[in-house]
Amino acid sequence: MGTTLPSEDVLVRMQRDLKRALQRDPKHVRWTMVIDQGKCTGCHACTLGCVAENKLPPGVVYRPVIEEEVGRYPAVRRRFLPRPCMHCQNPPCTKVCPVTATYANAQGVVVVDYNRCIGCRYCLVACPYSARTSDFGEWYTKETPDAPSVLLGRTAAAQSYEAHPSTEYGRRWPQRGTGSPIGNARKCHFCLHRLSAGMLPACVTTCTARATFFGDRNDPESLVYHLLGSPRVFVLKPELGTHPAVYYLK
Amino acid sequence: MQRTRFSLFVGLAVLGLIVGSWGMVQRLIHGLNPVAFGSYVPWGLWVAFYLLFLGLSAGAFLVTILAYVFDMERFHRLGRLSAYTVLIVLVCEVIFITLDLGRMSRIYRFLVTPNFNSLMTWMFVLFNAMLIVYALKTFFLIRGDLVAWSKDPQRKGRGFYRLLALGKSSYGPDDYGRDYRIVHGLSLISLPVGLLFYGTNGAFFAILMNRPLWNSALTPLLFIVAAVLSGGALIAFLTHVFLKDDELVTSLGRAVLYCLLVFLFLEALQFFVGYQANVLSVVAALNLIAFGDYWWTFWIFHLGLGSFIPLLILLFQKDSPGAVAWACALIVLTFLAVRFNFVIPDLAVYKLEGLEHTFYHPRLRTHYTPNVNEWLVSVWVISLGLLIFLLGSRWLPVINSDQRGGMKHAH
Repeated sequence: MGTTLPSEDVLVRMQRDLKRALQRDPKHVRWTMVIDQGKCTGCHACTLGCVAENKLPPGVVYRPVIEEEVGRYPAVRRRFLPRPCMHCQNPPCTKVCPVTATYANAQGVVVVDYNRCIGCRYCLVACPYSARTSDFGEWYTKETPDAPSVLLGRTAAAQSYEAHPSTEYGRRWPQRGTGSPIGNARKCHFCLHRLSAGMLPACVTTCTARATFFGDRNDPESLVYHLLGSPRVFVLKPELGTHPAVYYLK
Repeated sequence: MQRTRFSLFVGLAVLGLIVGSWGMVQRLIHGLNPVAFGSYVPWGLWVAFYLLFLGLSAGAFLVTILAYVFDMERFHRLGRLSAYTVLIVLVCEVIFITLDLGRMSRIYRFLVTPNFNSLMTWMFVLFNAMLIVYALKTFFLIRGDLVAWSKDPQRKGRGFYRLLALGKSSYGPDDYGRDYRIVHGLSLISLPVGLLFYGTNGAFFAILMNRPLWNSALTPLLFIVAAVLSGGALIAFLTHVFLKDDELVTSLGRAVLYCLLVFLFLEALQFFVGYQANVLSVVAALNLIAFGDYWWTFWIFHLGLGSFIPLLILLFQKDSPGAVAWACALIVLTFLAVRFNFVIPDLAVYKLEGLEHTFYHPRLRTHYTPNVNEWLVSVWVISLGLLIFLLGSRWLPVINSDQRGGMKHAH
């Protein structure tokens, strides 16, 4: 066996970190994500993993991967920037919400109370990272003809995926009809429903390049704590003073 | 207003309600699904209309302040018309913004879980304060005539007027004096409330640090001037149509001219500073206004029809009330272009480079064109406002006013 093989997959370590964090006093936990741009291959698996996990409808995306072209021909390179919600420690979106439907929870995760949100979209306008999208009630199967068959047709096709209730925020949101979260602002929530069940966020586990790291930055033993000490660390738009909880490695 | 013209406008309003009802039905059944805006341009035509109506109330607001706070006699004739105009315009405004909510049935949340750090909450508070103040002001301004009309044997619907007068059967000089004092008091309250209301709407945009075109101390000022300009133009036009007071129309025309010049100066400043500072996103937004897909709304509608022609008329035909009224009508009719060009361009510039190439969906684009549904709903709301205004102007004593609380007017 070659010496270059890792002794432990980072997912295993992060899983252990997560278990430890869940045993700590929740008030002292600060969930943090670190994304290594040097490792990201732009496969978009995180985007799709997130869409599947949260049953996101068309036009709603929590974690797109921005593709950038750097340099001029022939010295051209491609760079990828996965962009979840930054879960800012000084979030501009929560301040503008007129009905306190969005706020940072005890662990610093910015959440949306779907049953309180009035859908004014002021938070979408205020977010400097365009990390929020509104659910306009779109369906993937909108254009599918409704055939009487059991196997084919809109109804059957919808039931196989998009009519499944989403489990965001640890609740079963009803099958898509007219109720929330349709009409609401929606965003990445670090898969809080998975965390509470002892699972890492979907984007972390689906990252084929192991470029996304997650954990409690207040835990000196955690992987993210160590990564944050790297000189490669940067945040998006630091000049705005939002203090994101999502960090990048150059 | 002549009977034929009145009937024509009522017919137009009814037609607008019928045509627009298709859009309203779609909106009420399918929520925001039928609209064209998305997540990167989250506000569209209805917010532009909201801002337009917000401004249209400002001129009438100022007239009521001049008439009842500063007691300027010449504006007393306009008092009731102005108060009623503010009321109708505020109603249209709130319908537009309510329809723009993704979950409008939760509007009660403003009362249950308000966030006083949000300027939208303050807009809600101030809007309601304005609505209550102007509903009361209109009532106390017309109460004398309501009582007189309820006793006029030649008038139909006397029971209705008695109901509106809250059962009051006599109205003398003492009542008039008391009502006038109440109106004066309400106007005193509405002065700070109104100024805060119009200023807050500008600040609502100005505080967003990630929106460089809006994030300027100039924005609230621009909002106030825009409101006074469009609202002043509206009240000048209405004075010409309903009161036929030539002197008042020409005086208001001069005020509108000054407002137009100040507004154009501030707008020019915004462009000058934006281009000179050369901040990429600001330049991109300014370029969208001046050279984007909707360049014609800026150059032809706003600067041409809504500024240059009215400017010429107000400068060279300033003593002709008819010409002044038409100039003002042009300003009002084209002001939607100003509001549209304020709301959309800053939203339509990506704030994260490359975002537009990553995840394709029509809701995730910055190109926005209002669709038929949005226009139909807008036609419905405007038609409703027009109809209420016209019916009120005919069947409520809101047009004329005199020193005795309208007793003369009521025969």
